[in-house]
Amino acid sequence: MADTAVAHSHGSDHGAHHTTTGLSNNKLAMWVFLGSECLLFGGLISTYMLYKGRVSEGPQPDQIYDIPFTSVSSFILLMSSLTMVLAVSAAQRKDDRNTNLWLSVTAVLGATFVGGQVYEFTAFYREGLGFTTSLFGSSFYTLTGFHGVHVTVGIIMLGALVGMIRRQRIPGDKAEAVEMVGLYWHFVDVVWIVIFTLVYLIPS
Amino acid sequence: MAIIERPSTEVAPSGASPAVVVPSEALGVFKRPAASTSWRDWLVTVDHKKLGIMYGVAAFFFFIVGGVEALLIRLQLIGPDGKVLSADQYNQMFTMHATTMVFLFVMPMAAAFANYFVPLQIGARDVAFPRINAFGFWCFLFGGIFLNTSWFLGGAADGGWFMYAPNSSTLFSPSHGIDFWGLGLQITGIASLTGAINLIVTILNMRAPGMKLMRMPIFTWMVLVTQFLLLFAIPVITVALFLLMFQRSFDATFFDVASGADPLLWQHLFWIFGHPEVYILILPSFGIVSEVIPVFSKKPLFGYPIVAMSGAAIGFVGWGVWAHHMFASGLGPVSVTVFSLATMAIAVPTGVKIVNWVMTMWGGKLVFTVPMLFAIGLVVQFTIGGLSGVTHAVAPSDTQQTDTYYIVAHFHYVLFGGAIFGLFSGFYYWWPKMFRKQLNENLGRWNFWLMVIGMNMTFGPMHILGLQGQPRRMQVWTEARAGEGFFDLGFWNRISSIGSFILSIGVLMFIINVVYTHKSKKVAIAPLDPWDARTLEWMTDNPPKEHNFDSVPTVNHLDEFFHRKYAEDSTTHELKQVASAEQVLSELNAHPDEHIHMPSRSYWPILLALALPVIGYGLIYNMMITAVGVALVLFTMFGWAMEPSTSPDDDFDPPASEGGHTKELAPLG
Amino acid sequence: MRTMRRRSIAAKAALVAGIGVFLGGCAKDAPQDTWQPAGPNAEKIDNLQRPIFYVAGVVGVIVFAAVAWVIYRYRDRGQAIPEQTHGKPALEITLTVIPVLILIGVGVPTVGTIFDLAKTDDTEMVINVTGQQWWWEYDYPANGANAEQFGIEEPIVTSGQLVIPEDTKVLLRLTSRDVIHSFWIPKLNGKKDSVPGRVHLLRLEGSEPGIYAGQCTEFCGLSHAYMRMETVVLSRPDYDAWVANQLEAYTPPEEGTLAAEGESVFIQQCSRCHQVNGLQNDDGSLIVSAPEQYMVAGAAPNLTNLMTRNTFAGASWDLLRPGCRDDVWNSNSEEFGAKYLAGISEDCLNQKDLREWLRNAPEKKPMYADPTQLAATDGKYRGMPALGLTEDQINALVAYLLERK
Repeated sequence: MADTAVAHSHGSDHGAHHTTTGLSNNKLAMWVFLGSECLLFGGLISTYMLYKGRVSEGPQPDQIYDIPFTSVSSFILLMSSLTMVLAVSAAQRKDDRNTNLWLSVTAVLGATFVGGQVYEFTAFYREGLGFTTSLFGSSFYTLTGFHGVHVTVGIIMLGALVGMIRRQRIPGDKAEAVEMVGLYWHFVDVVWIVIFTLVYLIPS
Repeated sequence: MAIIERPSTEVAPSGASPAVVVPSEALGVFKRPAASTSWRDWLVTVDHKKLGIMYGVAAFFFFIVGGVEALLIRLQLIGPDGKVLSADQYNQMFTMHATTMVFLFVMPMAAAFANYFVPLQIGARDVAFPRINAFGFWCFLFGGIFLNTSWFLGGAADGGWFMYAPNSSTLFSPSHGIDFWGLGLQITGIASLTGAINLIVTILNMRAPGMKLMRMPIFTWMVLVTQFLLLFAIPVITVALFLLMFQRSFDATFFDVASGADPLLWQHLFWIFGHPEVYILILPSFGIVSEVIPVFSKKPLFGYPIVAMSGAAIGFVGWGVWAHHMFASGLGPVSVTVFSLATMAIAVPTGVKIVNWVMTMWGGKLVFTVPMLFAIGLVVQFTIGGLSGVTHAVAPSDTQQTDTYYIVAHFHYVLFGGAIFGLFSGFYYWWPKMFRKQLNENLGRWNFWLMVIGMNMTFGPMHILGLQGQPRRMQVWTEARAGEGFFDLGFWNRISSIGSFILSIGVLMFIINVVYTHKSKKVAIAPLDPWDARTLEWMTDNPPKEHNFDSVPTVNHLDEFFHRKYAEDSTTHELKQVASAEQVLSELNAHPDEHIHMPSRSYWPILLALALPVIGYGLIYNMMITAVGVALVLFTMFGWAMEPSTSPDDDFDPPASEGGHTKELAPLG
Repeated sequence: MRTMRRRSIAAKAALVAGIGVFLGGCAKDAPQDTWQPAGPNAEKIDNLQRPIFYVAGVVGVIVFAAVAWVIYRYRDRGQAIPEQTHGKPALEITLTVIPVLILIGVGVPTVGTIFDLAKTDDTEMVINVTGQQWWWEYDYPANGANAEQFGIEEPIVTSGQLVIPEDTKVLLRLTSRDVIHSFWIPKLNGKKDSVPGRVHLLRLEGSEPGIYAGQCTEFCGLSHAYMRMETVVLSRPDYDAWVANQLEAYTPPEEGTLAAEGESVFIQQCSRCHQVNGLQNDDGSLIVSAPEQYMVAGAAPNLTNLMTRNTFAGASWDLLRPGCRDDVWNSNSEEFGAKYLAGISEDCLNQKDLREWLRNAPEKKPMYADPTQLAATDGKYRGMPALGLTEDQINALVAYLLERK
């Protein structure tokens, strides 16, 4: 639910509120939420690691992985973290135009990554790896699918943020809203680095 | 869309004189609901106290449901070859009994207390995200109802609450019961996860000035630990439930042995969640009795930092013991050793707590009110459960005891004798705070003693049953394996079943007590501070105003309220009462804060939560319904996002405004 | 003085509690009593758990005594408000160290026993044990360790009752054909899950001839309560006799007898799933059952020597009528072997349960055996369906089965 907390209102327009830790409630909530997400991906990654070698039928992992392609899309996702940083810094300078610019670039890079994933899934499917083909297939699609959904949610959040900044619908601290989406975005990127390493690079 | 209509604009039963609220401009998609005194206000409220009460009422309802299921189980087992329930019904009954008691009673009841009292105990005006709080409650309620509708739609889940694979696959459980179970738990899981984030942020971020971590009431401490456990445990069960759903609904093969799956994967995922879950159930009750015992001993909690830290230690070590549920699962001796020793280690911080409660009473001035009785009941019964726990931390010994009634005895001593007795202690202790009237002490004593007798009669004999070799989850037991003489299983099964009925009469006494207290004209309004309490929640009206504190107190001590009432006489060094509770409160209220921003009511939490079971039914019956549910989710999330959490007209000045500075609730979510 | 007396009361209470616990270990006639070991593995567990129970009991009594004392001594008698002490670090540390020491005392022998019980290098005999809904199959491999030494020239497949020789270190290789089950003979060893796709090892050794009861202890679906088993320990000569009997060639019933009628009923109605070794068609070809075509688990009990076991249907019902049953189950260890090897005589047969079973098995033991509701399993049964046998057929079958020993 933190995504809703991010994308919208900051309540009253009395500016920043005093909190015990000094961190805003929204930001603290996002950190806490991401802590929880670690365990979610931990569970999914463990499942994949257990099952990656179990192919009763259909292709083996190393038969279908296209490392160069996935490396490029991973690089694109990594670059989106950089543009996210630029967006946050623009937001902190209260530079709405550049904030929106970099948020949009981030969203486009994210969308490119998701597009790459969709392409990869269809390619794998054509090569005979369906969701129910083998344990490897089930756990691969589940893990990367969950990550893809996270990226998609992030793109929606970026889009909403851009729209709301443009229409001045964010009543509270704009920079904080951008920063929170940024936190989420970086988290999703870091998770991808872990997945890329464990799933694609380490041979089964 | 009739309910989106704006209700009347008059409000505020909260203070001495009602504040008038003027209707506001629509800021969201729809006009937001205004406060009213009608029942509809409960549907749209975001007040942590009202939500706490709703959590409590709903959880108690499920307690009765789970209790009836338990009685049917005991009725079936009262004699050999029971005929009350068929094997299929029996399997559904014990699955749903456990699921209901764990997920729909003890957890939400602890959430009820946490919601109501954590903000009060730390001097906050609400939780950090009031609308998410409301959303969490509705998720729990709708998830619980959704889960229980399976009874009427082809049968409930029948795989046991642990739902081991591969017995949970459609091949072995073709009814929709397990689908309802998995999806229902996902929905209530959302409630737990949002609740955890909300309470963690609230406790870390919204404490009154001077309320350092080590000045927090111990109940708040235990809630904090519990919420961290939930935060990390819920995603693990979420993964497991997703895998189960993909397997059952979309033909994935996660637990299909023929495709090479390992059934132990489910066990590990389930117990990595499941064991912290045990502490999630018990720690809030530990917190409650750690409040109650000091109050009725007239002493501070003995070794407060150690109790707080041992709670945290239990929470931490609790992550390293999950496989003690799997000593017979075929783990290697090295893993068994590690988990066996870790499990023994966790007995230390738990034992520390018992020692500290006893030492708190030692040298005190003990008053045996009903809350105190229940608290002492917890100490004694939990000790029994803890000691039997040590006997099966010893892995070889556990291979004889696991999956027998000995384990059933053990965890009912821990969870009924411990967790539920703690919750009842909380009912009696905090009742006057929540409802202005004190529950009747005489009826309360009946309630307590019947529950003690019933509980020990029901679960005590199960130690014998288990050690004599009666396994769990058996639809029938047979005389051929019952033995004779003193340890005759027939005799002890009978005693246990009779005990369960005494236990239910005990619980019934509580309901009678509640009805009597609130219907009888003879029961007077309770005094402001009936127990001579020690913590901040008692420094408010009974029940507290909507904004809790007219002015947020500054905290200088652990047990702040007590220290405002009592001071040491400088010559005799004896404690003397220097102020009454009324005096403390009126002193605090003398300089109220201005411009208190209370979060405004909202339709979106209940609407969003309502969309989730729609998705659930859709996944089971028809993907078109799922699409409707998803559309509803998107629509309500959009509406939610467009609605500011506070409408400007909710700016509220307490009546006795005499200047002073502004303190605000950071209203978000 | 008064304190002294109270102390002695506490001591007496501890004694009574101790005796209660001790009695638990001495109860008679509870076939699954976990406190009456009858073999070295269970004894090791018992030696470990008994002192731990006593320690736990003593700790419990101390805590209860402390609570009782505090309740009595510090009840509100109008005393002044006590000093607001927040604790005594020295005391707290002491009271933390004591349980740590106790637990170290418990932990050390625990670790020793865990590794001791996991040893398998001294195995003298291997038996494959397979669980399925809702019975156990025992397979004595002819090529297993020391199979020759025990005269197992051909594989022996039985169910329900596992027969092992006295004082022999038997290693069970546990697995399952469907869901998870758990093998547990309390008097011989702790339990171990049998998990599909995995093989788990469990040691079993009996030091005295007799029947030892057990039950499946991992919830395994509808008839979990009816998945029982026994382990029969026989002296070495008796065991050899048992093996020889199991390997005896099939003797068809005499022509013209009721049993011969039963054989043809069996061939028509039962042999699709139930194997009887050596059973032949009219044309002399061997009949090989094919339960995998009809059963989810792909197996049904081998009935070649049914009447050498004394329970049936997942060891849920006796093949011996009550009087005869007691005679065998309660006999002393010297006479036990002979009585057990005698098998089931016509006089001793528990006609009632066996006939009820043949009439309508799923009514007696809950099973997924409704032929109209097998969509989820591609038409395969879980458990034996009702066969709709006539009384005449049942009479004939009973006569036939009585000769299966």
